[in-house]
Amino acid sequence: MAQVFRPAANTVALLVIASLGAVPVLAVGLGFSLMASPYVTNQSVTRKQPVPFSHAHHIGGLGLDCRYCHTLVSVARFAGIPPTKTCMTCHSQLWTNAAMLVPVRESLANNKPIRWQRVHVLPDYVYFDHSIHIAKGVGCSTCHGAVDQMPLMRQAAPLTMGWCLDCHRNPETEIRPRDKIFDMKWKPPKNQIAEGRRLMREYHIDTTHLTDCSKCHR
Amino acid sequence: MKPGLSGTNPEDILRLSRRDALRIFAAHMALAVAGCSKPVEEIVPYVTMPEGLVPGEPLRFATTLPMGGYGLGIMGISVDGRPIKIEGNPHHPSSLGATDVFAEAAVLSLYDPDRSRTPILRGSIASWDAFRAALLPQLAKHDVNAGAGLRLLTGRITSPTLLRQIDHLFTRYPKAMWHVHEPVDDSLERQGTELAFGRALHALPRLDKAEVMLCLDADPLGPGPSQIVNARRWIEARNPKNARGFSRSYVAASAPTLTKIKADHRLALHPAGVSDIAIAVANVMGAGMAQPNLPPSSERFVNTAAQDLIAHKGRALILTGRSQRAEIHALSHWINAQLDAPQDFIAPFDRSAEHQPSTLAALAEDIQAGRVETLVILDSNVGYDAPADLSITANLGKVPFSVHLGLYADETAGLCQWHLPQSHPFESWSDLRAIDGTAAIAQPLIRPLYETRSAHDLLTMLARQDAVSSYDLVRETWRPVGGDSFEDWWRQTLHDGVVAGTAPLSVVAAAPTRPEVTSTDETQNELALVLSPDSSVWDGRFANSPWLQECPRPISKEVWGNALSIGAADARRLNLKTGDVVRLSLKDRVIQTPVLVSDGCPPGVINLTLGYGRRNAGAIGNAIGADAYRLRTSDALWMIEGVTIAAAGKRQEILTTQNHVRLEGLARDLYPVRWLNDLASAARSDAEAPSLPTFYPPAAADTYAWGMVIDTAACIGCNACLVACQAENNVPVVGPEEIARGRDMHWLRVDIYDHDMPADPVTGFQPVPCMQCENAPCEPVCPVAASVHDSEGLNAQVYNRCVGTRFCEANCPYKVRRFNFFGYADGQEYANLGAETIKAQRNPDVSTRQRGVMEKCTYCVQRISRARRKAKKEDRTIAEGEVVTACQSACPTQAITFGDLNNPDSVAKRLKSGPRNYELLGHLDTRPRTTYLADLRNLNGALKGEHS
Repeated sequence: MAQVFRPAANTVALLVIASLGAVPVLAVGLGFSLMASPYVTNQSVTRKQPVPFSHAHHIGGLGLDCRYCHTLVSVARFAGIPPTKTCMTCHSQLWTNAAMLVPVRESLANNKPIRWQRVHVLPDYVYFDHSIHIAKGVGCSTCHGAVDQMPLMRQAAPLTMGWCLDCHRNPETEIRPRDKIFDMKWKPPKNQIAEGRRLMREYHIDTTHLTDCSKCHR
Repeated sequence: MKPGLSGTNPEDILRLSRRDALRIFAAHMALAVAGCSKPVEEIVPYVTMPEGLVPGEPLRFATTLPMGGYGLGIMGISVDGRPIKIEGNPHHPSSLGATDVFAEAAVLSLYDPDRSRTPILRGSIASWDAFRAALLPQLAKHDVNAGAGLRLLTGRITSPTLLRQIDHLFTRYPKAMWHVHEPVDDSLERQGTELAFGRALHALPRLDKAEVMLCLDADPLGPGPSQIVNARRWIEARNPKNARGFSRSYVAASAPTLTKIKADHRLALHPAGVSDIAIAVANVMGAGMAQPNLPPSSERFVNTAAQDLIAHKGRALILTGRSQRAEIHALSHWINAQLDAPQDFIAPFDRSAEHQPSTLAALAEDIQAGRVETLVILDSNVGYDAPADLSITANLGKVPFSVHLGLYADETAGLCQWHLPQSHPFESWSDLRAIDGTAAIAQPLIRPLYETRSAHDLLTMLARQDAVSSYDLVRETWRPVGGDSFEDWWRQTLHDGVVAGTAPLSVVAAAPTRPEVTSTDETQNELALVLSPDSSVWDGRFANSPWLQECPRPISKEVWGNALSIGAADARRLNLKTGDVVRLSLKDRVIQTPVLVSDGCPPGVINLTLGYGRRNAGAIGNAIGADAYRLRTSDALWMIEGVTIAAAGKRQEILTTQNHVRLEGLARDLYPVRWLNDLASAARSDAEAPSLPTFYPPAAADTYAWGMVIDTAACIGCNACLVACQAENNVPVVGPEEIARGRDMHWLRVDIYDHDMPADPVTGFQPVPCMQCENAPCEPVCPVAASVHDSEGLNAQVYNRCVGTRFCEANCPYKVRRFNFFGYADGQEYANLGAETIKAQRNPDVSTRQRGVMEKCTYCVQRISRARRKAKKEDRTIAEGEVVTACQSACPTQAITFGDLNNPDSVAKRLKSGPRNYELLGHLDTRPRTTYLADLRNLNGALKGEHS
């Protein structure tokens, strides 16, 4: 009578036993890495906009300040997308016949707003406030990346809760002087940790309670 | 796809082949997978940004809301151009910074999907142009006959601009007539002043100066346009710091009223018995009328109250209510004159100098006689709320040309040829006078959502001044007052929300004449039906507000209906139990209603509230409760005798949010009552009770410690806090079916307790929000850490973490957590509450909770967060009084105090160390951050024996 189990069965059995332990661990690991992956976070996704507005051209090239268009960023929760009127301050004089700007001109002529695709989307139960971050020394490029080099806007950071908490726990790695907030070229100095701690004291940033659920959720 | 699938016949769809079924299944899977990706959101900026607008940040505008014609000054809070919340205007004399339930709910009525959107001609959609074309030939006729047969029917009008327009209409049509019908009017009060002073006067009692107050069926603390101002003045006179001036109130009432509950001494009596008390008190003052036959309890009550009133001459006041005859009102003016009572009189301001309005009865008679050619009804629902004997419903159709302007296509709209949609008060310019006559401008917060016009617009149309806007009209009214720098004056007046210096001067009334009043006998074996306006729907005009329908009656806690209250003795005699349906009949008119056996109802009396049984209110208010107007006649508006009651042999469940339970002796712990005289000697009930050892982490001492104190002595149970919380926190309505299953969503409820005392039970209200326990029992039982504490002492609920185990709710001793059994706000809304327009009311600062999620009060964490961010940006700490919770801001008596307990200057901290402070269920060592101040009553020693 032939043997029920051939010698290879030992290997199979070992593999099965090993995978009993490994598969759940791998599955959880896969799940977590999937959740943090651009596939879920939409990081670096470029969206089709009605007007292919280039931050690289306007900021990097022309040197406009962020607040020229995002006027409310230091006073309100939302940075604000500029009204058509803001575009037309320049484009009523410059590139007045450019085909690319047809939606802008039509918006003003017909009093119909331009419908932009949202790039940075936080869940509805997250109440993020731009103004408080700016007041406490978090620069634009810390979260939005090198906007001055983006021909089309994309989400530079993962915007996951873990990513938020990294900074809420250790803001010293990111805090910069208030006059550098809107500086796209700002790079952390060599002594950033020490400098960041000094600025935290100056700005009265206390991380003890900065991770309370109710700080961002309600 | 096979033809069978494209059909809509369900039987065809059921006949699926295996392939079709698989195909559909695969398509669903594909949709489900695609649905997992985040939805693409759009950002839609302005083309031209309005000046001063900051997206996502609230703006506050002062304006005025009408309540039975009187103005209530409010601050409308608007986010991105959408009004989302109402708060009181501290500068306005009717609001004093507080609101009532009706004002809080007004913001939802703006977005009511049942609002009328277009003119309607005999049931079919028409246009404003068509109406104008129909109106012009009609007006041409009246141009010839000087307006004979042209009638205007309105509610109470106090708007100076509207009165000016009516005057203008009369110059054009001198033979036209103006009729006023207000279901909850003050005709008896007016008749009383006419009897006493020889002319109609408007009384303004000063409750803050009244150290002794006797209310005979009067309910100054009850719902109505003067509730807030009366409640604030009443509590000002009840400051325990000022024990000598602490007021004492005696209430004899035929209905369970808020004033009666808050009284120091009370008697439940038949209206005739209440009249007898007035006569007997007048006799003590030397009136010398025939002494009525008083039962011993009334006699003792009269003797004590009268002596107390006389002893406080100049600081004593007697108030008479709606169910009393005009003679009794006149008699109480005579008594007040003897007492030199703190009460002012002003000339009535709900009429123009040139034109006195006529009555609805006169109009009914003229319609019957065919003398009415054109009838214009401005915002009045006579088709529903007219007294039954006037047969308005039967005769309105006889008018050749009838027009109804209203927010809803209601009962009256159906009886008129034309229905015209009216603009909401938030959509139009106007002006209104407050209960004390102070004028205020009403400015729009939003452009009209639909093709609507205001009453001003319709009157300009009637006067053929079509080009004039209501904005210009209102400005024109006030231009003489504003003077030379009118634009500056106008901006300042709009900003303040009140026109300074417009309160009428008080009239120096001559000594009132005393009417000769005789006691009327109670009709034996017959019940007297006492009607009152409803605390939720008033006269029926708010019937389509889901917030108000689900707002529990202060005393019975009934929602979604108006059961008939009957005393226990009468119920036994008639063999009726709570929930039995009865037929109430008067002559040939019959209504059916379930009964509610109630302690507060005196023998021989049944109580019913107005405003229910609406037929055309809308999806929310239709066919709920019984229509009391069917039994109301123009000579018996509030007290109807000769009503017969008979069991209908049916039962109907009465929906309540609080079940009546009797806990032996526990009321003394849960709702302690102190007596003013003993207050100084009393020790704190929970004086420094040693805390038990605990595994809970200690509260953080290095940041804010939010805490709340609720003064139960000041709470009048008006529910303003409850509706304010609902508006602020996007609290959904569950509907009557869910209420019947014992579910409701109010984050804050107002409990009612009564102390089982012989003869005179002390009853009181206790608002219960989340206690924010330091040792919160809900937290350790949550398997997913959705119920967590934050460093500032808030017991936060992380909605996006909650998986709906409901362990926290089970473990909460205060039962303040609310579970979304269905998507009450998220896809499974009651009736039409899922409509797109309703979403515009939601507060964008608060998450809307999904099905399967637990929710609760968090001390308005969004307001704390806003204040914290503002303070941090300015590099300071949050100041005392900077965070005001929604319930706190609404409270007319300022019973709720909120603040940082780590701030040594905080009022809340000071109150917590006072002698009346107690913790609810403190023995559980939950260390609640919300604590209460014990109720405080000021007993008269002579009657004290009854409180053993």
